[in-house]
Amino acid sequence: MAETSTDSSSAAAGIDLSQFYQVFFEEAGENLEQMEQQLLELDVTAADDEELNAIFRCAHSIKGGAATFGFADVAELTHQMETLLDKLRRHELTPTAPMVDVLLQSGDALKAMLARHQGSGGSLVDTTELLFNIRAMVSGEVPPVVTAAPAQAAAPVASNGGADQAAATEGQRTVELRVGPLGDPDVADNLIDLFKEITDLGQIEPLPELDHLPSVRRFKVSTSTAESEMMDLFTFHVAREQVKFVAFGQAEHASAASAADPGYGFFEAVGDGAATAAAQGDAAKHEPGYGFFDNAPGAPENKAQVALHVAAAAVAQPAVAKPVAKADKPQAAGLEASTLRVSVEKVDQLINLVGELVITQAMLAQNSRSLDPVVYQQLVSGLTDLDRNTRDLQEAVMSIRMIPMSTVFSRFPRMLRDLANKLGKKVELVTQGEATELDKGLVEKITDPLTHLVRNSCDHGVEMPADRLAKGKPEVGTITLAASHQGGSIVIEVRDDGRGLSREKLLSKAREKGIDAPDTMTDSEVWGLIFAPGFSTADEVTDVSGRGVGMDVVKKNITSLGGTVEIDSAEGYGMRVAVRLPLTLAIMDGMSVGVGEEVYILPLSSVVESFQVSTEMIKTVGGSGRVVEVRDEYMPVIELEKVFEVPRFDWEHNSGIMVVVEAESGRVAVLVDELLGQQQVVVKNLESNYRKVNDVSGATIMGDGRVALILDVASLVRRSRH
Amino acid sequence: MNMGMMEKLDVQTEALAREYLTFRLGDEEYGIDILKVQEIRGYENPTRIANAPHFLKGVVNLRGTIVPIVDLRMRFGCSSTEYNTFTVSIILHIGQRTIGTVVDSVSDVMEIQADSVRPAPDMNSAIDASFIRGLAQVGERMVILLDIESLLMSPDMGLVD
Repeated sequence: MAETSTDSSSAAAGIDLSQFYQVFFEEAGENLEQMEQQLLELDVTAADDEELNAIFRCAHSIKGGAATFGFADVAELTHQMETLLDKLRRHELTPTAPMVDVLLQSGDALKAMLARHQGSGGSLVDTTELLFNIRAMVSGEVPPVVTAAPAQAAAPVASNGGADQAAATEGQRTVELRVGPLGDPDVADNLIDLFKEITDLGQIEPLPELDHLPSVRRFKVSTSTAESEMMDLFTFHVAREQVKFVAFGQAEHASAASAADPGYGFFEAVGDGAATAAAQGDAAKHEPGYGFFDNAPGAPENKAQVALHVAAAAVAQPAVAKPVAKADKPQAAGLEASTLRVSVEKVDQLINLVGELVITQAMLAQNSRSLDPVVYQQLVSGLTDLDRNTRDLQEAVMSIRMIPMSTVFSRFPRMLRDLANKLGKKVELVTQGEATELDKGLVEKITDPLTHLVRNSCDHGVEMPADRLAKGKPEVGTITLAASHQGGSIVIEVRDDGRGLSREKLLSKAREKGIDAPDTMTDSEVWGLIFAPGFSTADEVTDVSGRGVGMDVVKKNITSLGGTVEIDSAEGYGMRVAVRLPLTLAIMDGMSVGVGEEVYILPLSSVVESFQVSTEMIKTVGGSGRVVEVRDEYMPVIELEKVFEVPRFDWEHNSGIMVVVEAESGRVAVLVDELLGQQQVVVKNLESNYRKVNDVSGATIMGDGRVALILDVASLVRRSRH
Repeated sequence: MNMGMMEKLDVQTEALAREYLTFRLGDEEYGIDILKVQEIRGYENPTRIANAPHFLKGVVNLRGTIVPIVDLRMRFGCSSTEYNTFTVSIILHIGQRTIGTVVDSVSDVMEIQADSVRPAPDMNSAIDASFIRGLAQVGERMVILLDIESLLMSPDMGLVD
């Protein structure tokens, strides 16, 4: 038994626990995120009990996990946060904005700590100030129940002076902790480890077991931590009902407390002198180990105590049958049951396999086309079923990768709050369409550009409160984030009701930069100027934005995802930036076109129309530039044959089909030989084994197993301009 | 001590013998480190890539991945580059990339002792001497040992950005 108690912590940390680290990190991350969100939603003036409890639960779960896995720094900080939160939820303190700030900062610090523990590097997180602030807040309005506990608890109990020393520590008190009745008395040894891991918690030393209370373990605890907090920690090892705190001495206080707080256990009077003497004797004898309870010298206890203990045990009895309970997390348990954590690689592998299946299916469909449906009726109908099933399968598999936009949006309230505080502005964030789903890969890549747009809106768009009032606008500016599906793409809008873009300012700035900007430019062309590199209209550079790096990067990033950015603005009333993205990067609808012997794919989303042309319809401008008239509009013509140097063997044949494609608010007519059809294509990367090819965004595998290149329409449109 | 011995042995064997895949380009015989070879396939028509160097035949579909195909005969300036039934693609695994090379025919896998390898003299040829590990005498034949990795990854191949 002694062996178990001394070795369990190191053995557990060394072998068993490491495999659960990842789970802990994920859970802690989720808890942190949830806590942050709830802190942001918290109305300081009318805090809801349920909200406070929820925040408390988050901090508590992190602390429990961190303590179990031996991340002392995380445990300590969460412990202090918990202390503060506990006071809040018990209405011993009223929540204030600074408290929320400190808690949010603590959340950030925790994130950094967790990242460090996860091995992503980073320097040691200094939490001294945070801890100090939290403690000040905890004690500021309430007598200093919690003071900074000296770290002396880390050392094993000193041989004889332990009790005296602990008692001498300011703000500390000594209580007797009773755990049981336990089916397996060793469970209680976990508590000793707990105290070892959370150095702030205090000191614990075992007391001899009482004859009349078999399988009830007793400990002497010197601590400054509230019983309820310790109780919360203990619940990770033993059921709440099995834990009792019995005060050393102080009979009146203890009984009053037990009546007021039945849920947290019983406080009983214990003959101070006798118990302390026993504890000291015990500690002196078994200094290095924590065990040896069974044959420890019997503690002298008086009869009155015995009676009380029996009564207490009887009350606790009904609950014993319960397994180690985490009654405070029923919702979380329900959620876990219906979701499954799977690594992204597995999903991607699945998507790849389905992609292969789609290709094989297309191959079969193509080869079976020539079969006589009367003779091969069964085969043909089987292939039709296969077609439908593959499509359904593909859709279902793709949907695994889809995650709601709320995962992106959820980071903005916090960011905006900090930013608005820093700038002295008042901004409210409205989000719409959080449930709109987007491919995980896209979500990761769109976050940074969106962050930039929101920052811009807050920094440049929304005016100072006084200016807003002067203009007759509401004092609080509104920034709206909206996501919605439109056809095969998703549109994410960032709107604000700020000052909008100024046409004159943009034009003059552009000329300053040497950009050719005639007065005849359309509004949308003028707005497009802000995407030029190094372009900034902010009067002064702040540390938030205004350096002019950013918008061009935003545009580049979004374009590289196959998306577009549009700007709409009305001076004095605000602006709107709309980001249009394809739903997924892995699969798209394509139109296959033939040029000579070769096949190219045009993204269907960019195809506007197609029509037959005769040579007379194509006019030249300046000798080489060719244009075609489409419904009173002249459009540049791009001959794929020339762009891709397609070798031609049938000299008589003339390309006769124009496909009008659109990208980045420009249109070109692409001249091809024939339209071959529409199909879903699995987009493959050319760069993984080769390199970037001009005017090509990727490749796909056709039904016959050959590779076809997917055209980069945006680049074709740009080509037409030079 | 045991460990030291083992390491020494390893180093020695590596210095002494290495397995090479040998293939023919025109009249010349070349050898490449067998560990870089992923598989050998018959030649199939690749999809042409516009504006690429002439020796880059294009890309093919290798079980779902897009693999570029380099015709080493064109790269080394061989006189005839016809594609017949013996023409094969050697699919190589180089770093994280998969790259195919077209050769006239694959001849053998052979162990070549280090002491039979002679340094290549400085000369005027289509390939830089730095891509040649050495010349090996195998019976009557001379095998040119290529450092295929640095050859394919060199900037003038245009295979990487």
